[in-house]
Amino acid sequence: MLVVDVDHVTKQFTKGEHTITPLRDTTFQMERGDFVSLMGASGSGKSTLLNLVAGIDRPTTGRITVAGQEITGLSRSRLARWRAEHVGYIFQTHNLVPVLTAYENIELPLLLLPLSRSERRRRVDVTLEAVGLADRADHYPRQLSGGQEQRVGIARAIVANPTVVVADEPTGDLDGETTGQILDLLQRLNTELGMTLLMVTHDLHAASVASRRYRLEQGQLIARESAVVAGSLT
Amino acid sequence: MIRFGPYILKTLWRHRTRTLLTVSGAAVALFVYSFVGAVQEGLNRLASDQSHHRTLIVFQANRFCPSTSKLPEDYARKIEQMPGVAGAVPIKVYMNNCRASLDVVVFNGLPAEKLKATRQLDLSEGDWSTFEKQRDGIVVGQAVALRRKLKVGQKFSIGALTTSIAGIFTSPIPSEQNMIYAHLEFLQRIKGLNSVGTCTQVEVALTADANSDAVCRAIDERFRGGPISTDTRTRGVFQARAVGDLIELVGFVRLLGLACVALVLALVSTTTLMGVQDRIREHAILQTVGCTPARIFSFVIAESLIVCLVGGGFGIGAAMCALQFSGLALGTEGILIAFLPSLALAATGLAIAAGVGVVAGLAPAWQAANAEIVPALRTA
Ligand SMILES: Nc1ncnc2c1ncn2[C@@H]1O[C@H](COP(=O)(O)OP(=O)(O)OP(=O)(O)O)[C@@H](O)[C@H]1O
Ligand SMILES: [Mg+2]
Repeated sequence: MLVVDVDHVTKQFTKGEHTITPLRDTTFQMERGDFVSLMGASGSGKSTLLNLVAGIDRPTTGRITVAGQEITGLSRSRLARWRAEHVGYIFQTHNLVPVLTAYENIELPLLLLPLSRSERRRRVDVTLEAVGLADRADHYPRQLSGGQEQRVGIARAIVANPTVVVADEPTGDLDGETTGQILDLLQRLNTELGMTLLMVTHDLHAASVASRRYRLEQGQLIARESAVVAGSLT
Repeated sequence: MIRFGPYILKTLWRHRTRTLLTVSGAAVALFVYSFVGAVQEGLNRLASDQSHHRTLIVFQANRFCPSTSKLPEDYARKIEQMPGVAGAVPIKVYMNNCRASLDVVVFNGLPAEKLKATRQLDLSEGDWSTFEKQRDGIVVGQAVALRRKLKVGQKFSIGALTTSIAGIFTSPIPSEQNMIYAHLEFLQRIKGLNSVGTCTQVEVALTADANSDAVCRAIDERFRGGPISTDTRTRGVFQARAVGDLIELVGFVRLLGLACVALVLALVSTTTLMGVQDRIREHAILQTVGCTPARIFSFVIAESLIVCLVGGGFGIGAAMCALQFSGLALGTEGILIAFLPSLALAATGLAIAAGVGVVAGLAPAWQAANAEIVPALRTA
């Protein structure tokens, strides 16, 4: 089933007289259960594409359909409601709201859905368990390590069981060992829970855990075979 | 929205120093506003009392301060016999200060039997018989007793006067609670006043069908050419003239109260805006997670509303307590304006605090709600 359909999308940024076109007539699709990695030079437009798929930015031209909904024409409010239901977003760093505990951060997306308190609690607990942080529920972000903070970010992205999860360099700020743990976690989300994942990364190693790998070059997506086999990482 | 309550409260608590300073600003402003409002209410109460149109005050012509008006006591008896008059009481007014003052003490001296007949006084302490027996006896309004810490049985001296407190009374009329009643004769014999056989004013009760203007004219006519001519007006007009200067002053003070509120508007708005600018990325994250612009807007409004309501609540509460327990009254030319707490005042204050909270939040909330997500995410 087609989950992400980026159809002849162009994105331009205009700054004064300068126009930058990171995406030019880009077409890209993802099936349910895909784990796609996206690499490319700095400034090539990876984050831009990710943001368009996540519905936090709009293309200059073209259509984007995610989870059966064409999102290009939605109003800001409708788009926000749509995101609450269908998108999980993992940032590179500073994912969390500093005044909220790990538990409360993870609960945030659920507050936007019509769920009872006990149902929310159940889901947050399950998710905390899944990311291995059940004992850190009451910790504030400043009391967590970088890797733990990132795992809370991942938990928040998946807790509402979104149609697609996007991650923008989720391991960009982490050391080797922690990176391994996070990639392992993402891969388990994909294989065990069947989550559809789109991950931007600079790290070949990270890209290799994905089931499909792309490079973004001159606004075009190029499928590439990786030398590293996904399984050999673990 | 309730679900996000903890988030909003924690957000306010994050910058607690800033929040508390803003809250105290709001408290001070609404304290001032409520206090000034009480003064205004006191004035309005004075002006709106309907009984003031059915009672006349006879004063010496061309005199304005009670300490200079001097009428022969027997004018009261003569007035009592005139048509349209139901009763007339000679009153000697004595006070420690004729000008506008916050701690004015006003004595009204009446014949004891007339006092009970014309005033609705309820003794909460002491008793009437003691008052009647003591030549220097006084009964003290509860507000004065509170303000000056007076107790039954004590002596109370002020200026050339030394009196014995025989009772403390309450009255349904707020300004009465600030009054002290003495025997007419006792006040007439104060050393140095040289006023035996005279009174300051005569208070005239009209019969039900009497025309107040006509009776006023008739009284002044009656004494024209006599030893002392009179100037008679309804109590309402009399008081309005006495407090005329104050009305303008209080109106001005009221403006200052409003200025305080405007200041708080600016203060809360600034603080909220600072809070919003500190959290550009956080709001972007909330939007990414799925909060609608309207929701972000309401978060920010809720923040400034809470600050204003908490601060305002404290300020208004403090003002109500101060008004209740200080027994303050503004006195001028023997007229007393009582400041009292009132539910209406508190409710208006809270409504204003709420209004300020919402208005102060508008600009910051607008900014937060309309921030573009992607650029906001790039900020640290
Ligand atoms: N809001 C913006 N205004 C102007 N130009 C922008 C804006 N956002 C992105 N760009 C430009 O678009 C291009 C693509 O940016 P993007 O962030 O998508 O790159 P990227 O591939 O994610 O790079 P990196 O690997 O460094 O994160 C860059 O040249 C960037 O300068
Ligand atoms: Mg990027």
